[in-house]
Amino acid sequence: MPNAQRYPFVAADSILGEASLRPYLPLTLIGRGQTTVTAGLLDTGAAVNVLPFRVGIELGEVWEQQTMKLQLTGNLAQYEARLLLVSAIVDPFPPVRLAFAWTEAEQIPLLLGQVNFFLEFNVCFYRSQLMFEVTPKG
Amino acid sequence: MSTELVQLFPVLRELKRSEKLYVIQFLVSELAQAETELIQPGVAYPVWSPYDAFEAAETMLKALAEAKGE
Repeated sequence: MPNAQRYPFVAADSILGEASLRPYLPLTLIGRGQTTVTAGLLDTGAAVNVLPFRVGIELGEVWEQQTMKLQLTGNLAQYEARLLLVSAIVDPFPPVRLAFAWTEAEQIPLLLGQVNFFLEFNVCFYRSQLMFEVTPKG
Repeated sequence: MSTELVQLFPVLRELKRSEKLYVIQFLVSELAQAETELIQPGVAYPVWSPYDAFEAAETMLKALAEAKGE
């Protein structure tokens, strides 16, 4: 891919070793005057982006002020989720606006899913080489 | 190719047919065992993907479109 940025798979669990290698993408989120540097799990199976509760708080967002409720599925269905729009920077690319289902769940990674991360970026996985490439949409 | 592997080939070439088959069997077994070890029994692997949250996805797309229009 032209102008692709390469990132390594990283171990999510030192004990599990190779079984825990995941495509975590470093990114910067910009909220209400607050910025946080984090990493999102590229999850092609996720219908939506999901923001763990603590990351929303780090961005200075107020749960009660987010009035648009969302219904998630699977393990996340038991937690309330609300819509949150934030700016995100995947260095060195220009900022994009990402929509998140901000969940009350704490123990999950930040998930980057089909709506709308994969609408904004093209991603190519090279799992056998333990890396992936990202480019902004054309 | 590693140095060890380069040194191994002449040794393998000298083996009897039955020994070569045994080596093949050994390698297949080793590879199968390595694959099995990637997923450990008794370990929980939570799946958090909201893989069919289509209503939420639709709501989020509409919100993005509205925000773009502002």
